[in-house]
Amino acid sequence: MTTTTPASVTRAAPQADGRPLGSTPTGGRPARRRGRSPNERNRPFWMLAPGGILMILVIVVPLILAIVISLLDLDQYTLRSWLQAPFIGLQNFIEALTRSTLLRSIGISVSFAAIAAVVTLPIGVAAAIATQNKFVGRGLVRSIFLIPYVLPAFVVGTVWRTMLQPGGVVDDALASFGIHTGLWLNGPQSFWALILVQIWSSWPFFYLLVLAGLQAVDHEVHEAAAIDGALWWTKLRYVIFPYLRGPIALAVIISFLHNINGFTLPFVLFGVPAPQDVDVLPVLTYITSF
Amino acid sequence: MTEVLTRPITPRHPSTPRNDDVTRLLPKPLLVIVIAVLLVIVLAPVLYILFASINSDVSVAQGAFFPTELHFDNYVKIWSTVDLGNGLFNSVVVCGAVAIVCALLAVSSAYVLVRYSFRGRLTVLRALLGLQSIPGTLMLLPVFVLFSTAATTFGIQIIGTRSALFITYLTFALPFSTWVMVTYLRGLPRELEEAARIDGASSWRILTRIVIPLSWPGIVVSAIFAFLLGWNDVLFASVMTNPESRTAAIALQVFGATQEGGAIPLYGEMMAASLICAVPVVVLYLVFQRYLVGGLTAGGVK
Repeated sequence: MTTTTPASVTRAAPQADGRPLGSTPTGGRPARRRGRSPNERNRPFWMLAPGGILMILVIVVPLILAIVISLLDLDQYTLRSWLQAPFIGLQNFIEALTRSTLLRSIGISVSFAAIAAVVTLPIGVAAAIATQNKFVGRGLVRSIFLIPYVLPAFVVGTVWRTMLQPGGVVDDALASFGIHTGLWLNGPQSFWALILVQIWSSWPFFYLLVLAGLQAVDHEVHEAAAIDGALWWTKLRYVIFPYLRGPIALAVIISFLHNINGFTLPFVLFGVPAPQDVDVLPVLTYITSF
Repeated sequence: MTEVLTRPITPRHPSTPRNDDVTRLLPKPLLVIVIAVLLVIVLAPVLYILFASINSDVSVAQGAFFPTELHFDNYVKIWSTVDLGNGLFNSVVVCGAVAIVCALLAVSSAYVLVRYSFRGRLTVLRALLGLQSIPGTLMLLPVFVLFSTAATTFGIQIIGTRSALFITYLTFALPFSTWVMVTYLRGLPRELEEAARIDGASSWRILTRIVIPLSWPGIVVSAIFAFLLGWNDVLFASVMTNPESRTAAIALQVFGATQEGGAIPLYGEMMAASLICAVPVVVLYLVFQRYLVGGLTAGGVK
């Protein structure tokens, strides 16, 4: 790290750039590699160490371990002595794809995640559009809208499991309208029960993102639409929605991934082993692991 | 992206009634209907928790929404049926420790990442984002194997103790917390730090005397998210705990199973316990709503 340039030049270089001493633009390399400010000579890298070591030990090492294990012949009895296990290459992958219910689970997971994300979207958009203007009690309404999203998933699962049980409050309410449904927590309908609960607990996420997107619409745009006499539907469709395309795409992608990775809700809602129709990927992984 | 979204959600213009008419997006009747329907959808299950928690088990099983008889003793019995008190204690201890340590590690890492430029800095920042998207179910078995290998090689028993949860939650909370702090520190003026450096302060002194006092809001947000990550976790807690060290989330699952053998589950107590597990989280969110919403939308975490 020794620089051959004299100290005076080192000091002068950043100032020549018109920047205060010791400031390099964040997000980029120092403007001149010769001009090292005192900042760069003793960078406190040790401050990165505790977090960095933890993340490498508990995330990166296990990730590599996961790849290694996936190539070994192991079962639950030999797991502890994985260092001595025979190497079998890709056979585990072939076995998983042909002999287990993996493909079915992938299908269930993807369709669950996609349906839940797409159905949730209009609810979130409607909520954001409805609460964008001031009215008495709007703060309270916005706080209430957040509740389903901030409730821990294990509480949401426990409550809905109680509500959806045979003869429970949902069946009772539907029966009073003359609708009689079968089992919610088992059989083919359990797939829709999972989607229903996921929608209930995740729509405020769309609502928050769309609300943030609505803030980006300039007041002038609203005025222009009003002067042109746009009806509310025309205004929404042609003036407002173009602004929301970005936030909506983001929300759909994030919530799709979130749904695919979601473990707690199906685990608590249906227990293990999960009914065949809601054997989503994370739960399958969990059961196969232990 | 996060920077844009961390702005608190408030109307940009101080809206007078006239302005409101211009920005209104829905006709008034429709607006009222939308809000009313959503309120019912949200509040029905929430009120159900409240009502069922003071209801009798039979009445809940029969599908009653309003309690037929009042059983406030559900709130007394939950502490003895299952060791919920121990579960809550474990949750608070583990998640509280995770929150504090995580926030401190996050602020020091973020400080280096924001204020110093070095080779690999962008890689580290990208890795922080990448690490957030690894599914927990993928990590479960390898982390378990790692911990049990540590137990057999070094003779340190980690699995089943609170420290297993502490290490796991801390590590999985770090990428997001560090990211929150990076975006927060970017917004802080660097003049104060430079003044201190000219006066001869060391990096450590600058961090503890200037950066940390200035970035309390960011620290609180990253601590709360770290706390909630642990509080809401079922995946790792269900595998790595024994009855001694299990968290509130796992203790709650026991209520559904305690009455096996034909008898109906203790629904009333289960709902009372659910409410007790949920209240701290909901209160945290509602109190710090302004600061937390930006984080919520940034990563889809809860």
